[in-house]
Amino acid sequence: MEEKRIGVFVCNCGTNIAKVVDCEKVRKDAEAQPGVVVARTYKYMCSTPGQEMIANDIKEHRLNRVVVSACSPRMHEKTFRNTCRNAGLNPYLLEIANIREQCSWVHDDTQAATEKATALTRAAIRRVEHHQPLESRTADMCRDTLVLGGGIAGLTAALELAEAGYPVYLVERADHLGGNLARVDLTAPYLYSARDLLLERISRVRNNPNVQLMLRSELKELSGFVGNFQAVVETKTGNGSSQIRRLPVGNVIVATGYKEFDAGRIAYYGYGRLPNVITSFEFERMLRAGRIETKDGRTPRYVGIIHCVGSRSAEYHGYCSRVCCMTALKYVQEIKSAIPGCHVFDIYIDMHAFGKGHEDFYKKGSEVKTMFLMYKKGDHPIIRAAGKRDDCDMLIEVDEQLSGERIEIPADLVILMVGMEARPDAGEVARLVNISQDKDGWFIESHPKLDPVATTTDGVYIVGTCAAPKDIPDSVAQARAAAARILARIAKGKIEIDAIFAEVDEDRCAGCRLCNTVCPFSAVEFDESKRRSHVVAALCKACGTCVAACPSSAIKGRHFTDQQICNQIEGLLAGI
Amino acid sequence: MKTAVFIGTLESPPNVDLKDVAGYASRLPGVVKVEMISYSSPPHPESLADELRRQGIERVVLAGDSPGFIKPLFTRAMALAGANTDEVRLASFREHGADLKSSTARAKAVLACAVQGVPFLLAAEPKPLAVNPNTLVIGGGIAGIQVALEIADAGKKVYLVERSGTIGGHMAMFDKTFPTLDCAACILTPKMVAVGEHPNIELITNAEVTGVSGQAGSYRVKVLKRARRVDVKACVSCNSCSEICPVAVRSEFDSGLTYRKAIYIPFPQAVPNAYLVDPENCTWVQSGGKKCGACLKKCPKNCINLDEPDQTVELEVGNIVLATGYELLDAARVERYGYGKFPNVLTSLEFERLTNASGPTGGKIVCKTKKLNKRTKTEEWVADPAGQPPKAVAIIHCVGSRDANYNAYCSRVCCMYSLKFAHLVREKLPQATCYEFYIDMRAFGKGYEQFMERIKSEGTFVVRGRTAQVVESNGQMFIKGEDILGDRVVEFPVDMVILAVGLVPAPGTKRLAEMLGIPLDQDGWFSELNYNGEPTQTERGGIFVAGMCQSPKDIPDTVAQASAVAAGVLRSIACGCITGDLSGLKLEDIESRAAQLAGATKEIRI
Amino acid sequence: MSIRVNPGFISELEKYGAADVQKCYHCGNCSAACPFSKEPFIIPRKSMRYLQMGMEKRLQGTLEPWLCYYCGECSEQCPRGAEPGETMMSLRRWLTSRYDFTGLSKLFYHSWKAEVLALVLLALATGIGFFLWGSSMGDINHYDGPQAFLPSSAVHIFDWSMAGVLVLLLGINALRMWWFSLGSREDLKLSFFDYLKAVYLLPLHFFTQLRYSQCESKRPWLVHLVLMLSYVTLFVLIMFFLHEMQSGPQVDWRVHIFGYLAAAGLVLAVILAIRGRLKKDLQQYRHSHASDWLFLGLLLYVALTGVVQHVFHRTGYEFSANISYILHMMGVVPMLLLEVPFGKWSHLAYRPLAIYFAGVAESALLKQNQQQITEQAGAARAA
Repeated sequence: MEEKRIGVFVCNCGTNIAKVVDCEKVRKDAEAQPGVVVARTYKYMCSTPGQEMIANDIKEHRLNRVVVSACSPRMHEKTFRNTCRNAGLNPYLLEIANIREQCSWVHDDTQAATEKATALTRAAIRRVEHHQPLESRTADMCRDTLVLGGGIAGLTAALELAEAGYPVYLVERADHLGGNLARVDLTAPYLYSARDLLLERISRVRNNPNVQLMLRSELKELSGFVGNFQAVVETKTGNGSSQIRRLPVGNVIVATGYKEFDAGRIAYYGYGRLPNVITSFEFERMLRAGRIETKDGRTPRYVGIIHCVGSRSAEYHGYCSRVCCMTALKYVQEIKSAIPGCHVFDIYIDMHAFGKGHEDFYKKGSEVKTMFLMYKKGDHPIIRAAGKRDDCDMLIEVDEQLSGERIEIPADLVILMVGMEARPDAGEVARLVNISQDKDGWFIESHPKLDPVATTTDGVYIVGTCAAPKDIPDSVAQARAAAARILARIAKGKIEIDAIFAEVDEDRCAGCRLCNTVCPFSAVEFDESKRRSHVVAALCKACGTCVAACPSSAIKGRHFTDQQICNQIEGLLAGI
Repeated sequence: MKTAVFIGTLESPPNVDLKDVAGYASRLPGVVKVEMISYSSPPHPESLADELRRQGIERVVLAGDSPGFIKPLFTRAMALAGANTDEVRLASFREHGADLKSSTARAKAVLACAVQGVPFLLAAEPKPLAVNPNTLVIGGGIAGIQVALEIADAGKKVYLVERSGTIGGHMAMFDKTFPTLDCAACILTPKMVAVGEHPNIELITNAEVTGVSGQAGSYRVKVLKRARRVDVKACVSCNSCSEICPVAVRSEFDSGLTYRKAIYIPFPQAVPNAYLVDPENCTWVQSGGKKCGACLKKCPKNCINLDEPDQTVELEVGNIVLATGYELLDAARVERYGYGKFPNVLTSLEFERLTNASGPTGGKIVCKTKKLNKRTKTEEWVADPAGQPPKAVAIIHCVGSRDANYNAYCSRVCCMYSLKFAHLVREKLPQATCYEFYIDMRAFGKGYEQFMERIKSEGTFVVRGRTAQVVESNGQMFIKGEDILGDRVVEFPVDMVILAVGLVPAPGTKRLAEMLGIPLDQDGWFSELNYNGEPTQTERGGIFVAGMCQSPKDIPDTVAQASAVAAGVLRSIACGCITGDLSGLKLEDIESRAAQLAGATKEIRI
Repeated sequence: MSIRVNPGFISELEKYGAADVQKCYHCGNCSAACPFSKEPFIIPRKSMRYLQMGMEKRLQGTLEPWLCYYCGECSEQCPRGAEPGETMMSLRRWLTSRYDFTGLSKLFYHSWKAEVLALVLLALATGIGFFLWGSSMGDINHYDGPQAFLPSSAVHIFDWSMAGVLVLLLGINALRMWWFSLGSREDLKLSFFDYLKAVYLLPLHFFTQLRYSQCESKRPWLVHLVLMLSYVTLFVLIMFFLHEMQSGPQVDWRVHIFGYLAAAGLVLAVILAIRGRLKKDLQQYRHSHASDWLFLGLLLYVALTGVVQHVFHRTGYEFSANISYILHMMGVVPMLLLEVPFGKWSHLAYRPLAIYFAGVAESALLKQNQQQITEQAGAARAA
């Protein structure tokens, strides 16, 4: 067995680590550990000079193992693996000790934190001794893409790929394209035609030979891995029967959109009880039909618009639905145009006019003498039928914040700006494509800032309003962003498979198939002929469940061997 | 189809000859009526309906800068007339860039499509051109970095041109990022490093685009490479040149809170990680090589060449990406807040540096202290780690934003970073009281609302009401504002005021726009081709906008947009063809294309 | 009890000069910028809000508009061009019409034509009346002495009776003002002492216009002060020294010196004011309502005819003196009977009154606010 020459590099991360952990102490202790030939600290290990320092030491001191005590491996493991690779060292001969997220950020007692950092570093040192050089592999990939959802996001994504010359399966549950946008007439803040936008996208999609349009269809199953998915899509062919198709696809774009909040859930707005309390989407229908009327066909003289229905509230959805404010201002303009002399009351909490042209649109709303009335977050207006002597159908009562008065507002028609919420079947979709949801049911991106369209499952992307509420331009941008990722991957032609996965020692495997059942990624297959199980490397996420489950301990997790883990624990406890 | 065309404008659009357009409209197929209307005193729906019924109108086309604003009136009239309300079509000039050059012709084209019931963007498709696979990205902020990486990772060549000495842009200056509060450097530097190492990215820092010729797919770009005067490859950032350099200049990276030398490195993680010379302040350069030159002798690797000349290179690219970003509005313009007058009135960027671990105080939030500058022999206010921590901090929103006297628009990110500031103040100085003066709290993004609630629960006083002024009486700053929800005017002492200063386009945006023939919007940002449908494409084929330079947006939106741009570029490369300029199209072509498509689009029911 | 909002009210106020109030989005900048904005009187945002929401009851009880002197700071800083200063101006006009029980004021503000017509008619009536009256008493060629055309003794009685009418009209309006702002408010418990201890404010602010001087730009205050003092001086001279004024031709310096100073001040101030409104060089001069021009025009007319009359009288052209005297009265009478009680002039009385009432109510209102705050806090704690 070769002699272990370990280098330990302790990062200050500016003051992120150094302000709590005495990095120099950590370094000294590491230096004293058996096998450690060099130990250093540096302000920013991830910076170029920091990385160069590591590379030089690898060469100079002929290091064959490297430990970096810094931030979470999620953050920079890739960075430092590349550093090793570039210095001619197998990237898997590196171990990261997380002394930031798991130490400096969660403690303030310097001495104790330093001890913990020391222990973590020792653990890493003991572990890295037993690391084996591993090689990642590549696999071919399928150029076809599966797009779920035929709304503006799905359409745009599909087009982007199809026009680049790659096949796309566009799967839409309904019997028509357009999604929620198809229910909208004009778009804020410039009152451009939503229908023209859809018309353009849809006719392009229909005329593009690369797009395989599948209406009345749903994804039933998704197996395989990035570049080599197997999608099972069911298409309803009318009279109850349906047709099942298996599609090989390389990537999946989820653009399943949102569902509007059910105003009926809120009692105090009397939706369903009071005939002239309607939702924004019902009002869109009126607009499109050119009939802004009360149920009994009268033209309203007073219209009340209530913001944040189901949004920004403790009992329903905590989040802001992002588009309602602008939509409300759009209604203001549309009502004033259709019914000259009609008085509009806009009852809001905060006016979210943040985007391009939004603030100006808000101003335009004021200039047409809309009465903007502010209510308090946590409070809400109450709608009741008006009395005989009132010149209106309903009265809206609210504590107006900007005047500090309790007021009542006449209304013949009340529009509830219902927010967006995750579709009821979002959970099902998440399960099918193996992505996760946040507490509100929205799909979770792999990084909220720098990777807003990718997910934790390679080759599965989320775009548009299925990830969180957003307006049209933002949805379109996201759709293209996902397309870009896929185009890039297709351009590369191959996909890399991580070298870390579980392996079955077939001589020890008893063929009990326990592992097949416990694997959450269905990566373990059973070979009937040999009566042995084996792991599909590309699918394996190295979670280790099968390793733990195997009664005859025939499964070994690469890079997570029992010995490595035991050593790590010993290192951790050495100080105690 | 019996069509009536109504022409009118909300705001009079520049250089569109409405009379001419009207004359043209009357000659279009099916048009039986052309009428000028006024938006301020529009026709009454009933009378309008009678008119439409009498003439048996089947389709109404509204032409003007923003016809959507009057559409509901006509939809209603069509309903009253018993006609198909879906047949109210918009010829929206502004939407399709007909408030720009060659407007009348564009307006006619837009109208022609509307009369046929065909979306303009569908009919007006420039003929494809061959595309050069290389791409130019202008601007090395997070947007530019993201675009460059996306394209380069696909194996395509990218030239990344950055004005300053390093990439990273404003994001590199930030401490933490809302709402997750992860440190900006931690998530940005890996990307910066990746750009620096990427075999497909040619990084051209300290440079500027000076000329562009050619057309979509084959642009020829002149780039002025200002002499760095330090050999990037040889330099090991040992800092000895900087140590010896006698000239001190306010550091751009620390937004003026500290000094850097005339030969310097913007910040430790700069990419490329090499020093550069600031010729405006270098004694040697200014004296024509007669004075100083200390760094030359000191440099252990002799990689400094103070006489290195600027040079201009010419690049051949197929696509150009604008990611030029923004800068802060000059806070001194808003006199009543006393920025520049009172030392402890800070801009948002100054506070980012002050609270940043790599900043002048190592992340300590302190009031500035008076110190003698040995070089200039003058007293000046400096951010010193030993300074007094403020007892009361006020954060003022919408400084120069949402204000007709400065920027009429909302800068989109200020509310959230102000809340972030409040969190940092309360976290680092639990004893300090912190006030936020806001107008509307715009917490619209994923996780933003919850973030706001968290900040409130941390004990920051959130006051609705924009402060009117900051005054000083014997050394103590006072802030005066209306607490609207509390129904009172408040005036109290504060030790530090942070201005959430609005954002304006980066300097040179106008120049670049003229050079490229890209229109700017009313606020001076680059105009996208179509607000909804083409948010990253521009008037000209093969030229894209990403990030702030199109309008203020936060990091996630910027990154999404940047990736979207990459898609456009990669698509053109993949299919080997790119669509040219809209302005290159002839009216007849658009007319006939619209006529062809009319039937097919009629099929599609929405 | 909740109050019904009235969306039509903004349009009603436009007749009084409010143009942009709907643009206000309540950033609160104006109230903080206003030098007079102090609890319990938050100026001008609160009034803007009531106006936007059409809360007439609240508005007619507010004193805030009178506490504003239109320095224009708010309008200059307003981020949306909502012209708070001008809005307060228009509110003062509206309040004037509210205080006025005859409805004439409202009529005048709604249509300047009506106002002009009324002025002209009354002027003619005055002219004819004086001519007949004079002829019945004496000879138009004699200004003074036994055959005097309009003997001062007679005119003196006329002046006093007119003053009586004036006081009656203004008095009733002032009473209504008190009722709206203080009297009708059950929530305000005000003792006689409250009224007594603030009473000094009345003369103080009437004669010095102290608050106005607190505005950043002093010029408008000076012009205004000169105008007002000259006007009052002349008023006093006419009421108490008419005999000395009328006798002559030789000048009686003990009296006339005041007359000259006042006349000069009046003319100068009016000209400066007119110049300002034409040049629009100050915020407060930027917008001019018809009533402002009428006010200044009439004032200038009265001043000049007065001067002319005086000259003729002193130089012995008795016939011309009498004629010009009638012309002078044709300006004075309409001014005193129409403009002072119903027009812009009434602010002469309303402003100091408002300051007085504000002084009376201040402590009570503050106490009230305090209570509310503590109650809210209590409620919050309970919740």
